Amino acid sequence: MISSRWTPYLFLAPALAGLLVFKLVPIAVAVGGSLTGMSLMGDLRFAGLENFEYLFTDPEFWSSLKITLLFNLIINPLQLAVAFALALLVFQPMPGLWFFRTLLVLPMAVSTGISAVLFGLFLDGNLGPLNGFLEWIGIGAQPFHRSQEQALATLIGIATWKGAGYWMLFLLAGLYSIPASVHEAARIDGASAWQRFRYVTLPMMRKPMAFVLVADTAINFLFFAPVYILTSGGPSGATSVLMFQAYRAAFTFSDIGRSLAISTILLAILVVIVVLEFRLLRAPEEERS
Amino acid sequence: MTASPHALMLRYGLLSVLAFIVVCPLAWLALASLRPQAEIFQPISEFGWNTFIPSVLTLDNYRTLWEGDFPLAVKNSTIVALTTVVFGVTVNALAGFAFAAFDFRGKNLLFLLVIASFMMPFEAIVLPLYVMIRAFGWTNSYQALIVPEIANGMVIFLFRQFFASIPRDFYEAARVDGASWLYIFVRIAAPLSWPTVATSSLMLFLAQWDSFFWPIVAASAPDYAVIQVAIARNINFEQNDWGGLFASTNLAILLGTIPFLLMQRFYVRSLISSGIK
Amino acid sequence: MHIGRRQFMAGLAGTAFIGSLGRLNAQSVSLSVPWMGWPEEQVRPLMAAFENESGVAIAEERLPIVELFKTLEVRLQARNETPDVYLVDGPLTASYAARGHLLDLGELMAGERDRFVPTTLVQGTYNDTLYAMPLGTSSQLLFYNKKLFAEAGLPEPSADPAARMTWEDLVPLARDLTRPDSSQFGFAFENINPYQLLAVPQSWGAEVIGPDGLTAAGYVDGEAMVEAMSWYQALFQTHKVGPVGTFQTGVTQEMFGSGKLAMMVGGTWNLVGLNKFQDLDFGVAPHPYFAKGKPVTPTGSWHVGINPRTAHMDEATAFVKWLSTRDAMDLWFELRQYPPALKQIWEERADTTFVDPAWAIVRHELAETATPRPATPGYREYEEFLRTAMQDIQTGADVRDTLARAAQNIDREMRKYR
Repeated sequence: MISSRWTPYLFLAPALAGLLVFKLVPIAVAVGGSLTGMSLMGDLRFAGLENFEYLFTDPEFWSSLKITLLFNLIINPLQLAVAFALALLVFQPMPGLWFFRTLLVLPMAVSTGISAVLFGLFLDGNLGPLNGFLEWIGIGAQPFHRSQEQALATLIGIATWKGAGYWMLFLLAGLYSIPASVHEAARIDGASAWQRFRYVTLPMMRKPMAFVLVADTAINFLFFAPVYILTSGGPSGATSVLMFQAYRAAFTFSDIGRSLAISTILLAILVVIVVLEFRLLRAPEEERS
Repeated sequence: MTASPHALMLRYGLLSVLAFIVVCPLAWLALASLRPQAEIFQPISEFGWNTFIPSVLTLDNYRTLWEGDFPLAVKNSTIVALTTVVFGVTVNALAGFAFAAFDFRGKNLLFLLVIASFMMPFEAIVLPLYVMIRAFGWTNSYQALIVPEIANGMVIFLFRQFFASIPRDFYEAARVDGASWLYIFVRIAAPLSWPTVATSSLMLFLAQWDSFFWPIVAASAPDYAVIQVAIARNINFEQNDWGGLFASTNLAILLGTIPFLLMQRFYVRSLISSGIK
Repeated sequence: MHIGRRQFMAGLAGTAFIGSLGRLNAQSVSLSVPWMGWPEEQVRPLMAAFENESGVAIAEERLPIVELFKTLEVRLQARNETPDVYLVDGPLTASYAARGHLLDLGELMAGERDRFVPTTLVQGTYNDTLYAMPLGTSSQLLFYNKKLFAEAGLPEPSADPAARMTWEDLVPLARDLTRPDSSQFGFAFENINPYQLLAVPQSWGAEVIGPDGLTAAGYVDGEAMVEAMSWYQALFQTHKVGPVGTFQTGVTQEMFGSGKLAMMVGGTWNLVGLNKFQDLDFGVAPHPYFAKGKPVTPTGSWHVGINPRTAHMDEATAFVKWLSTRDAMDLWFELRQYPPALKQIWEERADTTFVDPAWAIVRHELAETATPRPATPGYREYEEFLRTAMQDIQTGADVRDTLARAAQNIDREMRKYR
């Protein structure tokens, strides 16, 4: 295929040009910025690893890192599992299916920020209907994001409410691209429903699942607006994820260098985790390469 | 596939419960948007039917929206989102196809860059991006909102994953018949991946429909206000316009769901199912 | 291959098409002015009046409050010629000025200072230099629900500043007005912003920041502060007269408006904001104080400043100068009722607008008890940590520990200003 040596690059060119200019160059600037310090009057100086050294000796950073990892350790598998379950539920045709699908994906048209405002009211201790309901059935009002114990779980709940239907769509598209013939063949061989799922569906869903897991991980590591709007990192630091620290450093403390250092660390962690996720979901036949 | 009636009942039951959980907060929001301003909230001790069913229905909140700058914001968001979808799907699908169908020098590195492109917090790149957009003279224009969002690493990744599940023999066969790669992309790969095209269109659409911070930084002139900005204006330090907030959020959800309704028919078994034996 | 190239050309053409969507800006001079997201009818007339007078166009951007600050940070940190003129929250004057984002207004406003209510200028001043011209100010009042007082058979608080209620008297009153069975509460502050709550420790006698404006240790976690904030916490946790979770104006206002909160300390904006509750009959009284201390009321509001890097210096200064005129300020008051910054407006409207008892109280407070927020370049840092601390304290966290942690954090972030 000598004649098409340049073909892949031509296919790639428009998208990569866009990514380069609007994403990769700014990212490079940001990573470079993590090695600088800025005086109050805006004079830039090379600071080497100062910002990182500062972070590594800051207990707030370490506690944020722990919270970020904990949050992601729970939310990513959870969302993948819920989304997969939803996709299986709305896969096979049945009357009225479009209606359920539509209801399940409604939250994706709510922006993350507005979903936080909405849940702030929905879960409010004084005016929120959910607490009204919980009182009414006798469970009693819950503090939700206002308590150290429930805050992180509440944020996970809100993010999953918004995200599950969205991620479901990708898995649904994946399910539809599994040839029906494969299932038929397995059925003729006498495989049970569970066996067909385990040995036919799951392996063929590796690629869509890898996509959802990787994309979801990236989004959840950068999860931020609800923290800012609902908890300000509290109560007593319980939801202070790294993104919140990065945001505060840049927009409240005017310490861009530190903020970019946190973002760079996030990027590094993400790349490592995503490579691991790819390995986890790699098909056996690819393992040799 | 023939399912037993019990299994079907179970499916309906599960779906109803899940849909109820998902819809509950939105139903409350929708009903609250139909109430007069003073009756939007009830203290939790007064929970009952009236928490959800308004005693008086009014369209006042919507009328106010209609007369204000909300229609302009809907128009702007629609223009921005649809343009992004048209260009974004094309450009990113081409790139995704390249990653899936070809082996070429630097592939792994380029792919890593694509993945990394959506892993940096937007807050960290907003300043260089803003400086760049200003240098282009694009502040307060549609292209400031559209162009940076067309190339999207996540969408490239999505296309790559789905194109990669089409066996390469398919392409090779067509090559042998003398088809160009573009022909293969347009006539073979793309038709096989309607669900993916639909999903990536939704991704790009929603990314723009939900976007908020970048529009405010790059194009905050009133002429370019987008829908999330119009919604957020109801939230104020001194007083919140809950009715306006609820009504505008509700409209944003309903309008933002239309593309999904249109795309729904693409969520069917694609040709590939019958095509591959 | 040639098809591939054609595809590529189509892509280029498409890009060029998007490029052509851009708006050509061929107007004369237009000032970029980030503003609060107030309704258009409260913003545009002011700008239009200046446009008519000067021929300079104003491109105001109405931004939601949080985004106003966020967007300003991005734009200012880019250190270029936009924005030209921008809205400055009073206590942020020092923060912007210390970073070189505000033009010294000393010359522009020379000889004008006596026209202003003095505390308003304090907020716009940093290092004895005026950087931000006050557009108005604010004060806090005790709002009470007349119907709930009548139901409980209690006499209404006096509107006379000389007969100001003490916090010591307010607590039993609030207890009488609390009805747990119908989730009715006696008293709450409108929100947890230090703007509003600092009046509590200040009335107790606490210094809320060191004399250098940069030290929190010993002040934010000082004994007086701990005592005062323990009193605040007791309202919610011990006496249970306050609804826990009233962190933001929106929620507290709803509770007061719907008759579930009998008394509320809130800003002057509530005089208009509470109108939407048709069934509400409310009265106002002066801000309470501690018997052992002195009356203190929060104050301060929006200012305007000029970006020193503006490319339209003449127009920008003309705009700010015009905003400080009597006519502009009077129009602004018509549009949005902030207590005026100009003495002249107070005098002119004394027999019309300001006969309302609420305005009589505000006028007294501004002259006698108004205490601006600490003038520190680190106000953003100070406010951020204190606000989270206030939330935690209201929810029941240990007061001493919470304030100690806040003080530590504030001091750490303040280091850069030393």
